[in-house]
Amino acid sequence: MTSIDLDTINVILATDCGSTTTKAILIQKVDGEYRQTHRGEAPTTVEEPFADVTMGVINAVTEIQELADRKLVDDDGNLIRPTSGSEGCDIYISTSSAGGGLQMMVAGVIAEMTAASAKRAALGAGAIVMDVIASNDKRRPHEQIQRIRALRPDMILLSGGTDGGNTTQVVQIAELIAPAKPQPRFGKEYRMPLIFAGNIDAGPLIEDVFDESIELMKVENLRPVLERENLGPARDAIHDLFLEHVMAHAPGYDKLMGWTDAPIMPTPGAVGNILQRIADQQNINVVGVDIGGATTDVFSVFEKTFNRTVSANLGMSYSISNVCAEAGMANVLRWVHFDMDERELRNRVKNKMIRPTTIPQSKEALIFEQGVAREALRLAYIQHKEFATTLKGVQQQRTVGDTFSQEIGGQTIVNNMTLNLLVASGGVLSHAPRMHQTAMMLIDAFEPEGFTRLAKDSIFMMPHLGVLAEVHTRAAVEVFARDCLIYLGTNVAPKGLGKANKPCFNYEIRGATLNESGTINFGEIKLLPLGPGESAEVVIEPVRGFDCGAGSGKRIERTVHGGTVGLVLDGRGRPLQLPEDRVTCQKTVGQWVDTLELYPAAERDAVAV
Amino acid sequence: MNVLKRNLVTVLAAVLLSLTVPVAAQDEAETPGSADGAVPSPPSNVTAEDVPWDKGDGAKLTWDAPAEAEGLRYRIEKKELAEDGGEAEWKFVDLVTDEQTTFTAKELDHTRQYLFRVQSMAEDGTLSQPAVLPSAFQSERQLFFGSRLYLLIIVLVFCGSVVYWIRHARSGKEIKVRQIAGLEAVDEAVGRATEMGRPCLFVPGIQDINEIQTIAGITILSRVAKTAAEYDAKVEVPTARSLVMTTARETVQAAYLSAGRPEAYNQDLIYYVTDEQFGYVAYLQGMMVREKPAACFYMGAFYAESLILAETGNGIGAIQIAGTAMPAQLPFFVAACDYTLIGEEFFAASAYLSGSPEELGSLKGQDVGKVIVAIGLIIGVLMFTFGNIFGAGTPIGAWLLMAVNYLKNVILT
Repeated sequence: MTSIDLDTINVILATDCGSTTTKAILIQKVDGEYRQTHRGEAPTTVEEPFADVTMGVINAVTEIQELADRKLVDDDGNLIRPTSGSEGCDIYISTSSAGGGLQMMVAGVIAEMTAASAKRAALGAGAIVMDVIASNDKRRPHEQIQRIRALRPDMILLSGGTDGGNTTQVVQIAELIAPAKPQPRFGKEYRMPLIFAGNIDAGPLIEDVFDESIELMKVENLRPVLERENLGPARDAIHDLFLEHVMAHAPGYDKLMGWTDAPIMPTPGAVGNILQRIADQQNINVVGVDIGGATTDVFSVFEKTFNRTVSANLGMSYSISNVCAEAGMANVLRWVHFDMDERELRNRVKNKMIRPTTIPQSKEALIFEQGVAREALRLAYIQHKEFATTLKGVQQQRTVGDTFSQEIGGQTIVNNMTLNLLVASGGVLSHAPRMHQTAMMLIDAFEPEGFTRLAKDSIFMMPHLGVLAEVHTRAAVEVFARDCLIYLGTNVAPKGLGKANKPCFNYEIRGATLNESGTINFGEIKLLPLGPGESAEVVIEPVRGFDCGAGSGKRIERTVHGGTVGLVLDGRGRPLQLPEDRVTCQKTVGQWVDTLELYPAAERDAVAV
Repeated sequence: MNVLKRNLVTVLAAVLLSLTVPVAAQDEAETPGSADGAVPSPPSNVTAEDVPWDKGDGAKLTWDAPAEAEGLRYRIEKKELAEDGGEAEWKFVDLVTDEQTTFTAKELDHTRQYLFRVQSMAEDGTLSQPAVLPSAFQSERQLFFGSRLYLLIIVLVFCGSVVYWIRHARSGKEIKVRQIAGLEAVDEAVGRATEMGRPCLFVPGIQDINEIQTIAGITILSRVAKTAAEYDAKVEVPTARSLVMTTARETVQAAYLSAGRPEAYNQDLIYYVTDEQFGYVAYLQGMMVREKPAACFYMGAFYAESLILAETGNGIGAIQIAGTAMPAQLPFFVAACDYTLIGEEFFAASAYLSGSPEELGSLKGQDVGKVIVAIGLIIGVLMFTFGNIFGAGTPIGAWLLMAVNYLKNVILT
């Protein structure tokens, strides 16, 4: 990797090596601004018979080369750098989730304290956490050892104890790991990397526990005191070891690492990185979701605190059966506004599981799949809320005024009322036939409150931009704002519950293209046209018992931005409650579907792309 | 023997009456009707019967009014017959109006016999000849006291709700108990102590084991000790009473056993300090400053030491959870501790922690009782308020105030 003069950068090439597809994008300076101009993709070639990830990269880049009419790969199969005329690129960067991404095991003394911090560090770095070992995880030592032996993590993160605090149990956990001798996934010569980010006093004792089969790396304690988390050093260490050990042993990655101008990041880590930067730069709270076939990733930045969760069993193909089992078929079907044969549904679910690449072939199948997606997203968000909490074990400062309002530590920091931007990505959301469907899936699953802007990642560009932000922040932010997100519109939804057909809120909208006022009743939803790039001043006057951000029954005025869907005025109340009775539920959901024109008759036989 | 005596007394009374009453009755019959200054006609046919469903202290007297009863009042007197047949003085009981020909005499002794007599009284106070009860009367005590029926109803409602909710819980239906932050935070406090490698301190108050708050505190100690056993943390319990020490040792030992770690139990960590209030506090303060426990629990009856302990704990940076039913100490604990169990929360801890259907159902049933009492209070206050607003002169105001008086003087006394 060479030092880069940012002012001279005109052409940037970025790839994301996924498990099945390698996606490449080309970013060029157009009229002084960075824009994403072309994209290409090719199958990932990390598995046999190719066993060289760079082949897939070259194939994807070659597609861009043809589309952009710009030579990026030379005759020897290497990327041309730097730019000269109409050839080559200035920066090449890449992310990777090939081969299952980065899989880690974490350990700490108390599951809700240091072990939870270790999990946050690992997830934030883009890893999949296979298991959390803690001294209070209710497993006997032999069970813990068995579990560690059964796992084949890429690396282990060990924490525990505050600085100057507990050493005994930290060493005890190390003494469980050492005899278990966990085996890595890749490479016979591979020494299992173990990051120790616990009590500084336990460091020397930990060194004595492990033999040469473990590559021990000591970093600063991630909970030096219980009142503060220090996840940065542990995350950096995870990234370093990911490159040095995991990537170095994956087929072709040594070559790929030689090409890149910035360290290869795990894909989810890069997505988290760009969301954090956007939240910081615009001073907003953001939630991002990436729903895949097997897993659903949820990212959030609330009050500058980043959290990421991976719901390992919530997905749209491999995990679809689990979604139906966990949510219950009744909950999935409440989003479907017509009768469906249960036997047919079961077949549909199992078919999707064994043939993950199939897409809905009829309107009914599409509506059912989107119902499953709503439940998968809802469950993933619940898990995220449970994980994204304030720190536990922290001393509280009280006054006599707190007599009847004593809140315990570990409360969720996810607050839908303060959520400004909700970003969707993943097949079922990104590739829905109509943007309206994506917007409604987000609204129904996440139940945003107050004023929330909705967007989707157009071509899942966030990983590329996340790693680009490490090298060229301006380019990443500009492309994110102009090309990455497709804004769907804004959702306005007061919090509270009321009686059906009684007023929920009054609204008055003043804008260049939209001037309207009226009343939304409880249970009603309305879509108003407000196109991309348009904005309007909205005044909301909720009735007593409803809160749109200013307090119960208080008037609030905001500027809202439009999008491909428009402005959604949602009077269905929060938390969203659907009628229990199946017939009433179908009727209610049918009304919403009609109001938002989710499945117009013209698209009766629409097929998800 | 008593029966014999009673019969003897009755016979004697009858003899006496046979000597006096007929004469008097004849005199009465011959007495002219009431005119100004004239002696009024006496009432006749005085009878007495026992008041049913009472505690044996009442007699219902009835008599026939004389022919010209207008303007007359009736003077009622009683005489208690001695067991040896001797007579006592007639004692005034009450004076009633001419419209009334019945009267319920109260405050009788159900073991004694009484004679009653009724006299007509003219407007100028002239009394007629007395009409005396023909035979002595003795009241009877009933098994069930009817005027306390509401108590039975209250008991049935309260106990019924407890039984109902216990059955409800046993049937597997969920009973929602609101989250008590102080109890939820026990894991957090013990976890903090574990991560910091420091002990937990448990203070079970300064009262003995006969104090209900101490017992409630020991219940919570069981939970703290079990969590500490699971987390492999140390719990230190200095006590101010030797019996509390013994109880605490048994409780902690049982908790370690149920956590599957009996070998980790160390009875030396539960010890007696002194009965002397401030000697005990001084020890605790010194120990806290020296050992800096990361979690302090104050569960029991506390007095002046509450703020001393809580401020010391706050100063050393411990998570502190307090629980007491001493109203005067609660503000100190709330201000200086992380979490405080207030009054009833403290006593509900056992049900909350165990989650057993019996305890949860009992808790819910008691809550129903409290709600009924609260509703009664609100109704009483409203009735009294509106009774005074309308005034005793209006029918509704009078009715409301009468109902309030009934509530206050009958049901609540």
